[in-house]
Amino acid sequence: MSHISLNINGNAHTLEVEDRALLADVLRNNLKLTGTHVGCDTSQCGCCTVLMDGDAVKSCTVLAVQANGAQITTIEGLAKGANLHPIQVAFSNCHALQCGFCTPGMIMATAGLLANNPKPTDAQIHEGLAGNLCRCTGYINIVESVKQAAKVMQEKQA
Amino acid sequence: MYAFHYQKAQSVEQASAALTRSDASRLLSGGMTLIPSLKHRLIQVDELIDITGLPGWRDIRVEGHQLWIGAGATHQSVSRHSEVRQFSRGLVELAGMIGDPQVRARGTLGGSVANNDPAADYPAAVLGLNATIKTQKREIAADDFFLGMFATALASDEVIEGLRFNKPLKSAYAKFRHAATGYAMAGVFVAQISKDQWRVAVTGATNCVCRWHEAEVAAGTVPKDLRFVHDSVLDDIHAPSAYRAHLVNMLYAQAVSRLA
Amino acid sequence: MNARFTPSRQEDLSLITGKGHFTADHNYPGMLHAYVIRSMHAHAHIKHLNLEAVRAYPGVRWVVSADDLKALGAGTIVNPITAKGKGGEEQALALMPILAEGTVRFVGQPIAMVFADSALCAQDAAELAEIDYEVLETSVDPEQTTLPTAVQLHGNAPRNVSVHFASGDAEPVNAAFAKASFTSQLRVLSQRLMGVPMEPRAVVAIHDAASGITTVHTPHQGILGMRNFLALASGAKPESLRIDANDVGGSFGLRGGPYSEHAALVLAARHLGCAVSWVGSRSEIFLSDWHGRALILNGEIALDNEGHILAIRFKDRVDAGAYNCMMSTFIGTRNLSITMGGVYQIPALYMESEVVYTNTTPVSAYRGAGRPDIAYAIERLVDFAAHEHGFDPVALRRKNFIAESAFPYKTANGSTIDTCLSEKLLDRALALSHYATFEERRAQSLSQGKFRGIGLSTFLEASGAGTAPKDQAWGEFNVNGYLYVYGVTGPSGQGHSTSFASIIEKALGWPADRVRYEAGNANQKLLGNGTGGSRSLYGAGSAILAMCHQMLETIQPHAAKTLGVDLAQVRFENGVWLANGSTTTTAHIIDALTNEDKTTLHALGEATSGSTYPNGCHIAEVEIDPATGETHLIHYYAVDDLGQVISPQLVRGQVHGGVVQGWGQAFCEQVVYDSQGQLLTGSFMDYAMPRAGCVPHLTNETYEVRTQLNLLGSKGVGESGCTGSLPALANAVMSALRPYGINQMDMPFTAPKIWAALQKAKA
Repeated sequence: MSHISLNINGNAHTLEVEDRALLADVLRNNLKLTGTHVGCDTSQCGCCTVLMDGDAVKSCTVLAVQANGAQITTIEGLAKGANLHPIQVAFSNCHALQCGFCTPGMIMATAGLLANNPKPTDAQIHEGLAGNLCRCTGYINIVESVKQAAKVMQEKQA
Repeated sequence: MYAFHYQKAQSVEQASAALTRSDASRLLSGGMTLIPSLKHRLIQVDELIDITGLPGWRDIRVEGHQLWIGAGATHQSVSRHSEVRQFSRGLVELAGMIGDPQVRARGTLGGSVANNDPAADYPAAVLGLNATIKTQKREIAADDFFLGMFATALASDEVIEGLRFNKPLKSAYAKFRHAATGYAMAGVFVAQISKDQWRVAVTGATNCVCRWHEAEVAAGTVPKDLRFVHDSVLDDIHAPSAYRAHLVNMLYAQAVSRLA
Repeated sequence: MNARFTPSRQEDLSLITGKGHFTADHNYPGMLHAYVIRSMHAHAHIKHLNLEAVRAYPGVRWVVSADDLKALGAGTIVNPITAKGKGGEEQALALMPILAEGTVRFVGQPIAMVFADSALCAQDAAELAEIDYEVLETSVDPEQTTLPTAVQLHGNAPRNVSVHFASGDAEPVNAAFAKASFTSQLRVLSQRLMGVPMEPRAVVAIHDAASGITTVHTPHQGILGMRNFLALASGAKPESLRIDANDVGGSFGLRGGPYSEHAALVLAARHLGCAVSWVGSRSEIFLSDWHGRALILNGEIALDNEGHILAIRFKDRVDAGAYNCMMSTFIGTRNLSITMGGVYQIPALYMESEVVYTNTTPVSAYRGAGRPDIAYAIERLVDFAAHEHGFDPVALRRKNFIAESAFPYKTANGSTIDTCLSEKLLDRALALSHYATFEERRAQSLSQGKFRGIGLSTFLEASGAGTAPKDQAWGEFNVNGYLYVYGVTGPSGQGHSTSFASIIEKALGWPADRVRYEAGNANQKLLGNGTGGSRSLYGAGSAILAMCHQMLETIQPHAAKTLGVDLAQVRFENGVWLANGSTTTTAHIIDALTNEDKTTLHALGEATSGSTYPNGCHIAEVEIDPATGETHLIHYYAVDDLGQVISPQLVRGQVHGGVVQGWGQAFCEQVVYDSQGQLLTGSFMDYAMPRAGCVPHLTNETYEVRTQLNLLGSKGVGESGCTGSLPALANAVMSALRPYGINQMDMPFTAPKIWAALQKAKA
């Protein structure tokens, strides 16, 4: 067992966790933040993607103990109070979600992508989402929503 | 996964001592390979020693004609580093092609090199640029490091501190992604080390990264009859060996056309 | 809320903020966790099963094998549909036990289950199970499994055949072939696939002793269907089961009924008196979710000398896997026959199919369930015949479309197609895709060393007939200002609630965002169907429309009162109530009522909606790089007749999803077993999936031809994307490769496969 401190969505948490506990499971089970989903066991589906110190990472492939001291943003922390993040708005506007299971991971991967590359080309979007699987939408609307979000976020900056 | 004890190493000596203490202790760097193996219970570990907190672990710096990359440098940090871009086009592009963005944010050079997955990308750059692998005990030349599938020259208590690369005149990396894993179904790193010296390293196509001597002799040209020949080209449900060998030929030509 | 943000779908807000309720999100106090012990062999007798060490492991609460569950009333995995054989024979049935009884027949088959304080504890304990197997020979290949040398899987099924089915009339077909000017034959494989909904299969069950009701959280495709089948599988009475209407992370045909874990967890929740949870890992789901497709379709076509199709016949081999589970019989019999003539006017049709057993995971429905497969086989056959005998593939199709004047058209094997205007859809798709100038683009690609191809499919499919006698919907106004609508049909991600709200807005003039749709509410004793066969919109939607019509009648007196006129003077038109030049809205009327009056406004709607015939023309343009064998999809065009479209955005989304699943089958997905029945594609490391950018440009249009077959006039869209894309993509690839001597290739068209074929053709 280890004693860890995590900052999740702006809130400090201290936890006792098993050394083998995955960050995804600690978020879901200990902190009841079930928006982060587990979709596979070979680190390839991306449903578990969260931001860790600003980078999109797969929380199913990070031990909670490795995240000690880190700033984590989950899907639950993306909105500012009642104000949804432009990526969330864009996903809905563009019908980039159907069943919604891959959606939190897809949105967080998008957040990671746009933080590093605010005006991605289509090819860069495809690369940016290479770690995320979706079975429902065929990705076409997801790519559109990333472009729409990028545009809105650029306008907000200006 | 099976239960284990986790500790974050404060020094290389501490990490090495833990390795010496037990057969069932392992170093943890990015965890992109180790954690999935643990989850599938393919391996059982008593002690997991996290070495990502060591001072200077993630350093990337140019020192004259050499580039030092700490074992803990993430693929992402290498791929975005302007000095790496200046130093070796092949290396900077390779780092940006590993896995996917989430993997690149966590996976490390040291972890990749120590694991020596036959389909990993980094070994091609390490061998292609004749890098030196520095451990706490010694320095190992790339030519002496990669011994076989998942096998390296590292002793069981040895910890990679970082790699030192020599600046090539030109370099390039071309890769054909495996449709399922994103690893290299084949990857070819071409480097002009000096005016007359070329190195060509092939990954993904055989059971271990290797140099392609005939291509090195071709010295940056693409002779029409140049063919990759090797006695253990991989053959599996995804591709027959003839295809992988063909990819190597094609990727060599692609890399040559993009040398910079 | 952001100023002016209205979600595109009602369902979106919770899903984009991480507030969804998927099965694994449920966490009850004191909940126990289950782990399934599965067979490592594809075919073996279990000589001895010793679970003592598992039971003794600290934290383990219960360990069960077959006898334990049978003693509690467990049945088998459900097989709802059977078919009669060609000569009227009964089908040989091999039902899958909930837990293996003495013999295992596929790798991954459940043998025992462990219930413990945590999932990790259950998994740790499970490793202590001692299983003594007597390994038997395996039969893995569906074509070889009927040979006399193959090991027999089930005592009651000689040659490993479950049923040998036939449809149509052989005599006129044989006569047509005898006199035909041209005949062609083509065998196509619709390879075994995994459905891969992104939410792994999971079950959480909790029993309330006081009421005697067990609540089950699980992804499903229909509450009533799951409940009724789960009752059969677990031995519990249907009215003692409540399937929760939680969020469902995709289904695609795989979640219409219970698996072993569902039955075991119901019994465990009752036996243990606490909540129990099982969440599958993706690796075990690869082994144990029903697989899809796995069909070998051998087609022949007979043409007269002008290219009129005289007859089509098929000989099909259907791999059921190790047992008859859920839909494999339905797929291999009805679904391979009802639309076997496609969109063509064919005087004689005949097919035979054999549903066979192999030591592999059982196969059931996956998006389209045989209809994409048969459309694929027909459109490849027509294309192949066109090229073999020198006909233009477009002209040959046009010549044979069912004439508009022939509708409703009864096919030679008994299906009645209400309408299918293939010519119109074809013309539109040809225009959209600039088909006429394709050869210029082909030449341009060739100058860059690339091989360009264009392929089309004109297809139809038959949507689900439904199994319930009718669909019902109940609507009532609530004092909190919402219209609550209850039905049976619930979504697995498609956005039905949004579509239903749109129907209501149009039919009642009541704002869509003030509608709340709920499926499977226990207090409502309604009839209806689950989601499946693309029928949810027109099935439940028609019932909802009928409910709206009834509701208008109950509102009418209040409308009259509001407008100050007699009842006879007021009418509802174009979304508003009118009388003598004054208008008012439903919302205005309802909002002005007293609470008491509001609750008197309710209505029941009913509709009986059978199969419909969604149809379309899809065109794909591809470019193959001969250096690598990779295929780049340049553009995909879909023109679909889906009847009345309620939600254009949702319809486009369904087509996108279906087309990309078709892309996956065409280019990278394949389940591979070795000869010992070991699954070689057991994870995403070996099972390649479509990723972002695989279909970069898709233009879709709808061409609405309302159907009279249901009240709504809609035809269902869920499976059209798959049905159109398999043949369009395959014909495109063949178009690119045909100049190099390659006339046929089976999916998936992976880069190594295309490269090897080109190499062989060169030699």
